[in-house]
Amino acid sequence: MRRSLFSVLLTLVLLCAVSAPARGGEMVWSGLVVATNTPRPQVPPMEMHRIAGTLARTFGYNQFVLIGQSRKTLQSGEENWMAASKHFSLHVDARGPRKDGYRLNLQLFQDRHVLLETDATLSKNSPLVIRGPQVGAGQLLLLLIVQ
Amino acid sequence: MFMKTFEENLIAWIDGELSEKERARFEASLDDSAGAFAEKAQAEKLGNFLRTQLQPRAMGNEEFFHHQLRERIARETATASTTEDASPVPRETWWSIRRLLWLGASSLAVFAVCTFFVMRQQPVANQSEYLTQILNARVDPGVNPDATVSIFQTKDEEHVTVLWVDGLKSLPSEYAAK
Repeated sequence: MRRSLFSVLLTLVLLCAVSAPARGGEMVWSGLVVATNTPRPQVPPMEMHRIAGTLARTFGYNQFVLIGQSRKTLQSGEENWMAASKHFSLHVDARGPRKDGYRLNLQLFQDRHVLLETDATLSKNSPLVIRGPQVGAGQLLLLLIVQ
Repeated sequence: MFMKTFEENLIAWIDGELSEKERARFEASLDDSAGAFAEKAQAEKLGNFLRTQLQPRAMGNEEFFHHQLRERIARETATASTTEDASPVPRETWWSIRRLLWLGASSLAVFAVCTFFVMRQQPVANQSEYLTQILNARVDPGVNPDATVSIFQTKDEEHVTVLWVDGLKSLPSEYAAK
């Protein structure tokens, strides 16, 4: 009797755990990438593999070099983080989960100057890429991907 | 035997309860026999009247009443005999603690299973058809007065959302340092 009751309760707990909606716990990868063209392109960062082809077709570069990155696991959806290189930094201010994704405020700094600021709703289905300034022969790209 | 008083003899005479001998002796002792006979006749008349008027009322549903009475007697008799014969058994209700526990656990399990399937059928926000959206983009016009912003999404299956900024000042390659 006690064993049966324990089994029922354990099943209930497991069902509740499985059926509970996943809130938070998703990781957002933020990257600062310099896209260039070269005869022998490096392998793009692992986080970009999914969209490397799309980026190559869209921006016309065949090499993507990571100069700064950050990984942030969202728990409440209201975290702040920053991905930075020597001269650039991307400040991300998450402002809570929404039905259609995470609401973010993004600021791109060049040293101490704000180059660009934008608000966005970041969805897992759709990576965000920002085309930044020209850097040498390449292009600065800012990437945000929900993994 | 003791002698009866006059009043007792008078009442017995009026009621006709005296023997012949006593009645003859009592009537002979009466001073006003006419008045006594008139009083006796009046008492008999009153008695007859009362007997006729004070009859018990006839019951309209006598058979039904008797039937009900017999039924009730039989029922009470049977109950009494059963109570006397049967040994006392503790009364057991269906809602025992064990059954209540099982019922509660089963109800919770059914509820959890239903909730699980209902939740599974609802689209998860992050896996729905929603795509990343740029709500607004601002470039400092003081630093980059010629900057323009455009937004589009790639048509492939990756649905990359691109914020395309043109007109930013070009920077030397040293800015590509990590």
